[in-house]
Amino acid sequence: MAQVPVQTIHRDPQLFYWILFPITLVMILTGVLRHYATVLMASAPKKLDQRAMREQRSLAHGVGVRSNFHVLSRPSFVARRDALTTAYESGAYLKDPERRGQAPPNPMSDPSSMDGMMGAMKNQMAMIIPNTLIMSWINAFFSGYVIMKLPFPLTIKFKSMLQAGVATKDMDPRWMSSISWYFLCFFGLQSVFNFLLGNDNAANQMAQQMGQMGPQGGFGPGVDPDKQFLAEAENLAVIEHYSVLDGVEDRLLEAIGV
Amino acid sequence: MAPSLLHPPSQLSPGDALQLSQQAPILLQSSAGAASTSLFSGLLAAPETAALWIQYENLLLSCLRTGDQRAAHLCLERLIARFGDENERIMALKGLVKEADAQNTGELENILKEYDQILKENNTNIPITKRRVALLRSMGRLSDAASALVQLLDFSPTDAEAWSELADVYLVQGMYPQAIYAMEEALVLAPNAWNIHARLGEMQYMAATAPGAASGSYQKCMAESLKRFARSIELCDDYLRGYYGLKLVTNALLKEQNKLAKQSEEGEFSLPETKTIERLNELATAKLSEIVRRSTAQETGWRGYDKLEVEAARKLLSDEATAASAIER
Repeated sequence: MAQVPVQTIHRDPQLFYWILFPITLVMILTGVLRHYATVLMASAPKKLDQRAMREQRSLAHGVGVRSNFHVLSRPSFVARRDALTTAYESGAYLKDPERRGQAPPNPMSDPSSMDGMMGAMKNQMAMIIPNTLIMSWINAFFSGYVIMKLPFPLTIKFKSMLQAGVATKDMDPRWMSSISWYFLCFFGLQSVFNFLLGNDNAANQMAQQMGQMGPQGGFGPGVDPDKQFLAEAENLAVIEHYSVLDGVEDRLLEAIGV
Repeated sequence: MAPSLLHPPSQLSPGDALQLSQQAPILLQSSAGAASTSLFSGLLAAPETAALWIQYENLLLSCLRTGDQRAAHLCLERLIARFGDENERIMALKGLVKEADAQNTGELENILKEYDQILKENNTNIPITKRRVALLRSMGRLSDAASALVQLLDFSPTDAEAWSELADVYLVQGMYPQAIYAMEEALVLAPNAWNIHARLGEMQYMAATAPGAASGSYQKCMAESLKRFARSIELCDDYLRGYYGLKLVTNALLKEQNKLAKQSEEGEFSLPETKTIERLNELATAKLSEIVRRSTAQETGWRGYDKLEVEAARKLLSDEATAASAIER
């Protein structure tokens, strides 16, 4: 079997100082800058007014009673169930009772939900703009160079990832182009940012995208609270009550034994 | 367990609180600037942690308790420098320090007016609402405190702290059914809290034995009390308060077992058989004496008990022993 000759490319050693190092530095600095920009631009969490808070927490109260009913004795559970279902069905906890039964307002026209969308927009912008700028900067100045050789062998699949911008068919995938170094930094700097900025920093775009998927507390736009209250009233009504205190003394004697 | 500044100091004994507040100069010096504003040093310094600010808050509380106003003000200044004047929690702490500084009732009235003013601007400020309740209570206006709490709980019914405070306010006024209702709400929010189970047991026992209590509800209250104590022991092994309560309830029940009616209403808790009550009483006696013996001997694993509670258990046991020997004679 013929030995594949080791490829050697004579590179200017200065490439390292003038390309690799600046790209890394710029990436780190933009990350830090993005973190502070996000912190500065972040709007304070929106204050709920009293009636909205009442609406949300009353529903949560009902959910609590429904899931922990077994700690109550039967009379006190029945009293709570009756009070809650009556209030839910009459709409006593609604934020604005006179709007009951109407279609929920369009989220686009509601100024309070506009705020949330603006916040998400701002974050997106803080991510997209610097990335575009750096990418075009690298393309304009450093495209087409091979800047380093990785110290470990790689399979051919990595070629398209590591040698983006260098269209040479036979080159060993260990050689890396500048734009590939950029992508590596883009995905791999999370731990550096953690070290510099603490764990919950806003420098990394991956974490932010994950965060946006997270659940939103309270009523999302387009959800009718009245319907949720009615559903909760029904849930409460169908509970078959038992108490954790039923037969507890026998359980205790059995478990500990005299 | 050694007292730590990372836990709220409300449950500490006076000695521990003093010990904590004596750490104030060290902590205040070691993190001198605390909030550094320059970007460069912010990058190099160790990242700021939430633990530091919790320490400041707890230190503030301990210092107020031991009368170290100077250190308390220093803590407050740093908290304000970090979080700003408008933060709800900081506003409550500021109010707390002012209350501690107040010399007479007139000043307290002024602070109360300030709270009302703040709440007029922002009626969802829960920390200030709670401060107002606490201030009303310490000024002796219990019914005002109760109605303020009821207002708070109307728009925030998932607040276990407020429910248990309400229960306590009702309890000191002797309004047992209301207190029990409020405590049950706290239990719904924390279904496995053995201390709340035991507390409910105590409340039921008080409701049953209070002078002027309706005689019809005696048996029902005692039955639930017994079950609550049993549940608290089931949730937490060797729980002194639970066993103490169980012992008290079973003692009372055994003493007047012939007076008790057999049948109770449908759906309510009924008393267990006399034999079961006797066995429960034996169990409680055995466990209590074990706890007293072992915690007095400072055995490993038995040291966490409150001294006063152990003392009360010892007294209960010895009282019973003397009563029993008197009968034999």
